[in-house]
Amino acid sequence: MLTRRRRFPILGLLLALVFVSACGKGSSDSYKVIYEMETPAASADDALANSPAPHYKIGVVPKLSNTYFDVVKQGAQEAAWDIDVELLYKVPASADPEEQIGVIRELMEAKVDAIAVSANDPKALVPVLKEAKEQGIQVITWDADTDPEARAFYVNMVDPETLGRHLVDTLAWSMNEKGEFAIMTASLSAANQNEWIKWMKAQQEQYYPNMKLVEIVPTDDAPDKAYEAAKELLKSHPNLKGIVGNASVGPPAAAQAVKEANAAGRISVVGLSTPNLMRDYLQEGYAQTATLWSPKKLGYLTVVLAKNLLLGQTPYDDQMVEKVGKIRVNGDMIIMGAPLDFTKDNVDQYDF
Amino acid sequence: MISRLRERLKLRNSRLSSKLIMTYLLLTVVPMSLLGYVSYAQFTRSIEEQIGEYMPRFLYQANSNIEQRISELSALPDLLFNSDDMIAILRRDEEQSVSDLNKDIFSLNSYMSRTYLGGSNPDVLAVFLLSKNRFFQSSKIAYTGFDRDQAIAPYRYELNNLVEKPKIILPSETSLRFTNDVPYVLIMKQIADTDNRRILGTMFIAVQLTFIDRILHDFEKNDKADLWVMNRKGERLYHTDPEKIGTYDPDINRYPILNGSFRTTGDGPKRLVSVTESAQLDWVFVHSIPLKYLTEKTDLVRNVTIFVFLGIVLVTTVLSVVFSLNITRPLKRLSRLMKNAEMGHFQVDHSLQSRDEVGSLARSFNSMITTTRELIQTNYRIEIRQKEAELYALQSQINPHFIYNTLETISMAVEEQETDTVVDMVTLLGRMLRFSVGNKAKSVPLADEVQHIRDFLTIQKYRFEERLTFDIQLAADIERENLYSPKFILQPIVENAIKHGLETHKALDIQIGIGKEMSLRSGKLDVVYRIRDNGPGIPAEKMLELEEALKSDTHIDKDSGFGLSNVNARIVLMHGPEYGIQLHSIYGKGTEVIVRIPALNGTEALADSGGLEGEGER
Repeated sequence: MLTRRRRFPILGLLLALVFVSACGKGSSDSYKVIYEMETPAASADDALANSPAPHYKIGVVPKLSNTYFDVVKQGAQEAAWDIDVELLYKVPASADPEEQIGVIRELMEAKVDAIAVSANDPKALVPVLKEAKEQGIQVITWDADTDPEARAFYVNMVDPETLGRHLVDTLAWSMNEKGEFAIMTASLSAANQNEWIKWMKAQQEQYYPNMKLVEIVPTDDAPDKAYEAAKELLKSHPNLKGIVGNASVGPPAAAQAVKEANAAGRISVVGLSTPNLMRDYLQEGYAQTATLWSPKKLGYLTVVLAKNLLLGQTPYDDQMVEKVGKIRVNGDMIIMGAPLDFTKDNVDQYDF
Repeated sequence: MISRLRERLKLRNSRLSSKLIMTYLLLTVVPMSLLGYVSYAQFTRSIEEQIGEYMPRFLYQANSNIEQRISELSALPDLLFNSDDMIAILRRDEEQSVSDLNKDIFSLNSYMSRTYLGGSNPDVLAVFLLSKNRFFQSSKIAYTGFDRDQAIAPYRYELNNLVEKPKIILPSETSLRFTNDVPYVLIMKQIADTDNRRILGTMFIAVQLTFIDRILHDFEKNDKADLWVMNRKGERLYHTDPEKIGTYDPDINRYPILNGSFRTTGDGPKRLVSVTESAQLDWVFVHSIPLKYLTEKTDLVRNVTIFVFLGIVLVTTVLSVVFSLNITRPLKRLSRLMKNAEMGHFQVDHSLQSRDEVGSLARSFNSMITTTRELIQTNYRIEIRQKEAELYALQSQINPHFIYNTLETISMAVEEQETDTVVDMVTLLGRMLRFSVGNKAKSVPLADEVQHIRDFLTIQKYRFEERLTFDIQLAADIERENLYSPKFILQPIVENAIKHGLETHKALDIQIGIGKEMSLRSGKLDVVYRIRDNGPGIPAEKMLELEEALKSDTHIDKDSGFGLSNVNARIVLMHGPEYGIQLHSIYGKGTEVIVRIPALNGTEALADSGGLEGEGER
């Protein structure tokens, strides 16, 4: 009996111990952190925020000054605003490669961080671009390419094969797949135009045996010269059924020549040009289809990609570029998208 | 209280069994309970930490799934670009006839209905599109509170940058309500015409919250847990309990972290809360579960452990009690035995047969008791032998004076030529000598003893002739029974009587009566010899001295020559203090000596005398 009575205080002591240790924990704070997670997103953001991108200077060189390149400039300017870079848009006086080389040297002297050039000649620009590269300037091409060793990558608007074949398709549709036709190109040395011509010929040979290419005339991207060339074409090829232009000054000049020759309906005019240049001709029936991409978008994309390259990011296939959309990458060539067709029905939707 | 406790804890003074039980309990209960408690606490904490680490990751995953889903939904406006007609409508400026306008609205509404509501996006409740002051809409269920003015008004000044990053509008921020109060969020996104570099309009996509439900339910199926998504102000845009959607979490600003887990320790049930914030959406994902559900299985284990623990405590208590009693009970028995031994009862207890230390102690004690008892018995026997030898010496003694006197009487008779007397006396003397020498037993037949004293008196009668007369009366029942008596008890008394009587008187008469009398002291019928003489008697002071000697001096003093005490001592030795000699005397008149012995027949007398040998108890 004595032993039993004695055991109770010990048991009580034990119980008290358990209770005390159970209740005594952390009543000072109402929350007790058990685990704190590092968020990878936050840390990545921090890394970016800690090293703000420097204020880059990007030089953009078109072939020359015309409506198309003016619209490109708008897009490039918009991008410069959006992504906070300084845009130096330097226009060569003519399509002469020497002029362009001079402009590039000016930009090199201005200590730009990157140069994006639409090359008038794929070979002539290579030495100066290499020189720029040696100065630490990133070089890309857009609209018209140079030899690959001179630049990091080439921002193409559309797939050359798609475009070339599509241009012949629009022409064939207008001239009922038969008859003579001529091509008005910018310069016989421009790489992109020659690539397109290659595919235009291939498409015609493959699908349209009744159509015949009679002449390829250069325009030098100059409206006056193009107009003269178009008139010359009409004169020298009385059976001409269609003209396709693969540079933006070609189709309006051809349409004007058709208008003046009063040959609407007999001679079809299609090709690459801007809606603004073609709007009246399309609506009046002197031209049937104009094909292009958005030059604004091209300018925008070029500047964005140039800055990305300066940040060390090379473009990749299926990349989503803000305010542009998804781009394709084929080797070192970036393809902006599919070509747009302008007809008299939809030409009003476009403001360039 | 403390002093009482201290007194209670004074181990030195407590009983051995208490000490054993306490030690046993301390050694089992305390470590076991501590171990159990510590391991339970540790286990609970590790579960907590595990869940606390796992849940934020899960929330992070759920969060990224939801962000992914939101961005998928945000890409929906781009589907408009799949249709040139729809893009043409959106690009069109508003100067057109009412019928054209209505036709455009109809076309775009039905296109949106086909593309967004009928397509692969079951979560989309409704789509609204504001473009150049035109309002297009397509909805699965009826709604109120959303039209051209109401839609855009609150955001007129925050329309920048909505091309890339959609804005999520919560129901509290807009007046849009669907029937049945279907919970939703509104994704607001601008539609950019990348070709013309213009904004074509703003699209609002109302998304039912079922997609969050689906994503979260894939992760958490425990319905005891609360899962909710709220914005930074604490507005819950989604909750596993639909009632709570749209309510506010008042504690959001008190949460110590927004990425991780913590335990609430305030009022109410304790909960484990895990949170993750979505940087992209500015949402906070919260998972909250009561700790007790988390540790449900552990608690079962804990309860089982407690029961097992209590069981073990019970068993160990019983065991410790049994064990300590097992130790202390033999000790108690031993101590009782020792006490008994102290009182003189030398008992051996052979029930303590265990082989442990207590058993060996008990065995030692037992052997000690046995040895002691044997020693006592040996001593006793030696003493008895010695006494017997003395007795023998005493009883076998016939006074040489008597023989000398008798022989002188015979010689006188021979001189006087009384041949008959001589023959008679020699015969008597021979019989007396044979009685004295022949039988070495302590007890003899009572008849022989009486015959012997008759012979003695007859011889004395021959010597003193008429000076001495005697008579022996034997009771009839005594003669019949074959009784026994101690040897030589009458002769010393009679010798004494003759010696003292004839010293002072001319003639002496001795009466000897033998009969059975009831005795008060032994409670039995005893044999009583009464030897009466008419001698001088014993003076009072001598009488006291004699009685004192009879009472106290039981040991036989051979040299005292005092026959009475000799006889008395022998009887007391043989039969106990209730037997012996009594003296009655009147000075000058005579003396009566009463000898009391037990009435024993032959076997009893033999057994009694033999019993002296085997008697160990006393």
